[in-house]
Amino acid sequence: MFRRVPPLKRINKASSNISTLGSSIVNVINHSKSTTPLLSNYYSTIAANENNSSTLPVKSTDILIVGGGPAGLTLAAAIKLSPNLKHFKTTLVDAGNLSENLPKFHNLSSSAYMTNRVVSITPQNMDFLTGDLNLPLQFNRIQPFDGIYVSDGLNDTSRMTMDRESMGNMVELLNIQSSAYMKLLELNANNNTNPIEIADNCKVVDIVKPSTTNATANGVENTNPWPYVKLDNGETYKTRLLIGCDGFQSPVRKYAGIETRGWFYNEWGVVATMKLEYPPFNHIRGWQRFLPTGPIAHLPLPGDWATLVWSTTPELSKLLVSLPSNVFSKLVNAAFILEDGDMQYYYRKLSDAAVDKRIFDEIIEDIDYRIEVKSQQLINKNNSDMYYVDENYPPPIKDTLEKSRARFPMKMFHADTYVAPRVCLVGDAAHATHPLAGQGLNMGLGDSKSLVSVLEKASSRGLDIGSVDLCLNDYWKDRYGTNMMLLGVVDKLHKLYGTRNEVVVGLRQWGLNVVNNLGDVKEFMMNVVSGRK
Amino acid sequence: MLAKKSVLKVAALAKNPQPPLISRTFITQAVITGLASHFIFGKDAQLADNIENGKYSNPSTKSNDTTSIDLFKRPMEPQYDGHVPLYLHEKFLMYLVSSAKSYYHPEDGINIVQLGESTAIPCCLENLKQIMLKDDVGRRILRERPNISSETLEAFRGSNLPPNSVGMTYFKWLDKEGVGPDTRAPVQYIDDPDHAYIFKRYRQCHDFYHAINDLPINIEGEITVKCLEACNIGIPMAIMGSIFAPFRLKKAQKERLYDIYLPWAVKQGLNSKPLINVYWEEIMHKDVNEVRESLGISKPPDLRALRKEQRRLRKELKIRYER
Repeated sequence: MFRRVPPLKRINKASSNISTLGSSIVNVINHSKSTTPLLSNYYSTIAANENNSSTLPVKSTDILIVGGGPAGLTLAAAIKLSPNLKHFKTTLVDAGNLSENLPKFHNLSSSAYMTNRVVSITPQNMDFLTGDLNLPLQFNRIQPFDGIYVSDGLNDTSRMTMDRESMGNMVELLNIQSSAYMKLLELNANNNTNPIEIADNCKVVDIVKPSTTNATANGVENTNPWPYVKLDNGETYKTRLLIGCDGFQSPVRKYAGIETRGWFYNEWGVVATMKLEYPPFNHIRGWQRFLPTGPIAHLPLPGDWATLVWSTTPELSKLLVSLPSNVFSKLVNAAFILEDGDMQYYYRKLSDAAVDKRIFDEIIEDIDYRIEVKSQQLINKNNSDMYYVDENYPPPIKDTLEKSRARFPMKMFHADTYVAPRVCLVGDAAHATHPLAGQGLNMGLGDSKSLVSVLEKASSRGLDIGSVDLCLNDYWKDRYGTNMMLLGVVDKLHKLYGTRNEVVVGLRQWGLNVVNNLGDVKEFMMNVVSGRK
Repeated sequence: MLAKKSVLKVAALAKNPQPPLISRTFITQAVITGLASHFIFGKDAQLADNIENGKYSNPSTKSNDTTSIDLFKRPMEPQYDGHVPLYLHEKFLMYLVSSAKSYYHPEDGINIVQLGESTAIPCCLENLKQIMLKDDVGRRILRERPNISSETLEAFRGSNLPPNSVGMTYFKWLDKEGVGPDTRAPVQYIDDPDHAYIFKRYRQCHDFYHAINDLPINIEGEITVKCLEACNIGIPMAIMGSIFAPFRLKKAQKERLYDIYLPWAVKQGLNSKPLINVYWEEIMHKDVNEVRESLGISKPPDLRALRKEQRRLRKELKIRYER
């Protein structure tokens, strides 16, 4: 219903003549092929079939957001809610079927099952979502947690507990996406003068910058021409500001010619939704153990659900995704409480080619036995405290939700800059990080918030929002430092816990114990993780 | 004379006046020391320690009077049968005394036992435990906790051991050396029960290392086996013993050790499979050469025969050239 509402009010008066535009595009084709190899290197190549551009008119918009993920949709909602920005014509483009999937998710009656893409949202960002944007989040699917428990996989005694009331919230990505989408629909229903146009099921085929010499208006050379975005349904949009929220392989970033620096960790993360044996009764907290192969994290969800992110070597991740779910659940329990020698034995036995049901049963029995023995030893070592294991180890897992296991590669990347003429990058298009500190989407939401404030400032002064010097640079200046610091710290932590060198291991175990006992350092770390300045 | 001395003293003092006792630096140092010791040893810190140790959270009928010293306080409850928990300084003293005694009297079992247990630091035993947990057989040993004693070994003597089996080799070696299988001393001073079992197992398998390599129980044979254990299993006492024990030996013995037996032991120990993962009770009936191959060890030259031969040669040369 809201997919192709034609704009009732056009802000942009400059290039309304369609035929000159068409001819300028044709001119660009000839131009780039024959005379100027430099320009053709700099601008992206033009798609081969030009028949569509001459039949359908080029639509003009002020803000084009590419990507309907959580960052893109919340950014769209923030723009439409802002008094200074809501007069801009806004379009959101996404390749997925948002109009069908998101309302379906929003109208789910119960939290009968939880999806496997869950992130932790800091209290600040939660305030942004619920307060500033007033998104209709499904709160019965959100779990606030009161602390994080970090331990070392090579030692039982080296650990750090960070306890603070509502340190973060576990929210499903679909929850954020669907609530932002419903908010946009609501805004469109209330504001008929300038509704946001949501073009879903449309993939961006190409983004083109017309050459400067031809895009003139009134004889004045346009040094900052508007990008033309071609979609796979034949439509073309030209936009004052192109915002790329389109993820790691961002075509917007490629168009802007912005390079990224970073690396792939030789690690893949396995995610799964798990059912606990009993809901946690004392603290609701997140648990993370730094195994030598990579960190494993157990994060709480409402009721007796929990979500798992287990980063490990590529071979092991393949193995883990292929195991039967009862063996996988037992292995997750073992990873949090048993020792490195145990885990290596299980990996070796399960990686054997001739593995069958008998071996699975043996391994399950062995895990049960070892966990019992280890729990008893831990209780004996700690003044016969009956609740020691319950207090210091995550609640055991009964089963894993079928089809919820998936794996994805871990990487760290940062774009050189977030802004280019008429382009800016938000979220995963600008930065990618390891999930061990739960900062990925938090950085993205911080980006959205900052971008909106920068655009508001420029718009209230009547400046061109697509200009780098006048408007967009402030956004990059605001966010680059914070994001760089978070990326760097997470990367160093990952490297620190990725080694088996005895000296480093000893130092880091001692260091973790020291930090656990130093109140001020812990307060500082908790502030960073929960997003407080 | 005296007057002159005192005049000189006064003159010296006038030239270099001594700094006053209560100076700025002294006061600063005193204040800093006072503050530091207050925060480390003062009443508040003691109170915090007591709260953390659970003194005030579990009310009991025992008096919480901290002013009297409990002479019978031990570091922890016994974790297993026969456990004698020791403080760190007590363990260190035991190490010093037993290392001195073992050097001069290695034949006395108590010295070696105490030295072994005081030097078996937790990180080495933990490392061994992980090695055992990674291996199939080692895991079973940790789970089933088999105990090797003289009774269990004598039981094997009756069963039909095929010739050339591990068991037969063992008993033949016992007869050659003129000893019987003896029960090893129980572990007393190691705190963790798993580590205590591993150390007990290590002690009990010592004779098998002798038998499978045909090394005698004289001092040279013992040092060789200790060196093999040091390189393969990594027990600190074995490492210390194989370095320091040869110093007391005669020249001929030292030559034999440094030229033949210690290099053999180092090579075997580093290249063979971990001997701690061998389930000796189960392989008693297996062919000894098969077992040697699967572990990656081979016999050294026969020590007793070598000694005899060299002694005979020396005597002959002595008779011939000292006429």
